[in-house]
Amino acid sequence: MENKLKISQSQIEQLQQALRLTQKLRTHVCQIFRDLGDGFSEIDLSDDKPEKQKEVLNSLRNTLETVNNDLSDLEKVGQNLVAANPSANCDHVSLDPILDRTPLYSQLLHSYKWTNKMHEHATVAFNLLSQNALKRSPHQSLAGGGKRAKRLTSTASAVPPAVVDSLVATLDRQHADMLITVSRPLGSCAVVQIVLGRVLKALVVLRGFVIEWVKVKGYNEDFTTEDGRVDIWSTSRYQVFRKISDHAAAAMLHYYAPYMPDIGIRSFALWLQGYSNLFSAPCHKCGKFLQNAMPPTWRDFRTRDPYHDGCRQ
Amino acid sequence: MGVTCVYAYPVPEGKSGPSVVEGLQRQVELLGAVRSGTFCVDCDTFQSILQSSMNSQPKTFYVLHDSEQPASCFAITDTGLCLTADTLFDGLVSKLKNYYQQRKNAKMEAKGQRYELGDFLIKVGSVSLAGSFKGIIVEVEYSPCVLASDCWGLMKELLQTVVGNLADSPPSVLKMKMDELYTPAITMSQYLELFNNFRKMATPTQISR
Repeated sequence: MENKLKISQSQIEQLQQALRLTQKLRTHVCQIFRDLGDGFSEIDLSDDKPEKQKEVLNSLRNTLETVNNDLSDLEKVGQNLVAANPSANCDHVSLDPILDRTPLYSQLLHSYKWTNKMHEHATVAFNLLSQNALKRSPHQSLAGGGKRAKRLTSTASAVPPAVVDSLVATLDRQHADMLITVSRPLGSCAVVQIVLGRVLKALVVLRGFVIEWVKVKGYNEDFTTEDGRVDIWSTSRYQVFRKISDHAAAAMLHYYAPYMPDIGIRSFALWLQGYSNLFSAPCHKCGKFLQNAMPPTWRDFRTRDPYHDGCRQ
Repeated sequence: MGVTCVYAYPVPEGKSGPSVVEGLQRQVELLGAVRSGTFCVDCDTFQSILQSSMNSQPKTFYVLHDSEQPASCFAITDTGLCLTADTLFDGLVSKLKNYYQQRKNAKMEAKGQRYELGDFLIKVGSVSLAGSFKGIIVEVEYSPCVLASDCWGLMKELLQTVVGNLADSPPSVLKMKMDELYTPAITMSQYLELFNNFRKMATPTQISR
């Protein structure tokens, strides 16, 4: 310990010397620049007084020489300096009484525990997610084949209109109680209007095979603006259908499957068809029709059983 | 305009009409319904003056107005045929006064409070014939639905909390049109039937006087 302290003592002395020399060097250099910056009067430099001219040059040379000497001195001292060991001072940290009063250690321990825990959870989550067959996120498959995922996601949204039309036509044939029509007022995006029985009307905007937007309205409402154009923004005037619009947005995300894009649309249509008994089916859980003056507006994603918003798990 | 059920609410003996209306209104408010103005349905009766030799019975038709459909006017004949027209139809009828005349002291009116409960419209009001109180009317409308057979279950659930056992079956007019697309004309037919019932109830008392 004493030995160490001694070593550090000599080091400190050398450091101080080096600092002094640096200061000296800096003052002299500053002197030169100041002199040069101030300039020399024309009288001093005029050809009439060569002695004066010589004097000025001499003083400049002298100063430059001192600077040179200072620099070599500093270099000599600098060679003796040993690079400070960054961990050397850490030994003394334990001697510092202030540290005992700060909660640094407990905080460190706490954050260490949290980092550990987060790491564990992330591992578990990764294992769970990698088992999921319908992968949604391209990031997930980066471990396997990032290229493949990228290509597939882009094809889901870049499907030629004719293919989309034929899929919609098949859906129309499959579901007898659903009247499905396609129009393209927004360019290449297909606007699909669905009339489900005499219960509701839905508007779905498709970009390729990706569902981008869903709105649900009542049977006695429509999706046209006053000047007869398709209106994809306005909401229903009835609470029930506003609620179902929200649920449909949730379903749109649930059924999104970039690997099998057409399955997403098919299952969404099937799920939407579950609303054909919107007003006539009681809640699967509480057995009642009404809760907060609303019929069971939720349809289970797997079974399509009707539930009230407050009754679903 | 959605499926609507209109019921006449009986006034129990020993109670005044207005107090029963007040009780019903309190009940509706307890359900969580919010007051949203008043409503009024009125009905005029017109009778033919010229009688055809074959038919001794004079022909009648009724003209109804509903505050829920302020731009429309409903004319219903004896046989139940309903014409839905603009309010200008009133002017046309008054031009026909040489053939059809308004029956005096036969104007029926249902007036009262209108409530909103989610997508439901609930109306509680009293019926009067030429100004005198005749009975109480409760109307419940479920606007998002257009098929009575679809939403009867849930309407019944709400109706039973308001009018009790009265709502065990749909009103007789509605019963025949359960699978039709609902139109305001069906509501008016329900009102007319109830008005006629009130009128029949009233006739014996008038005779006894």
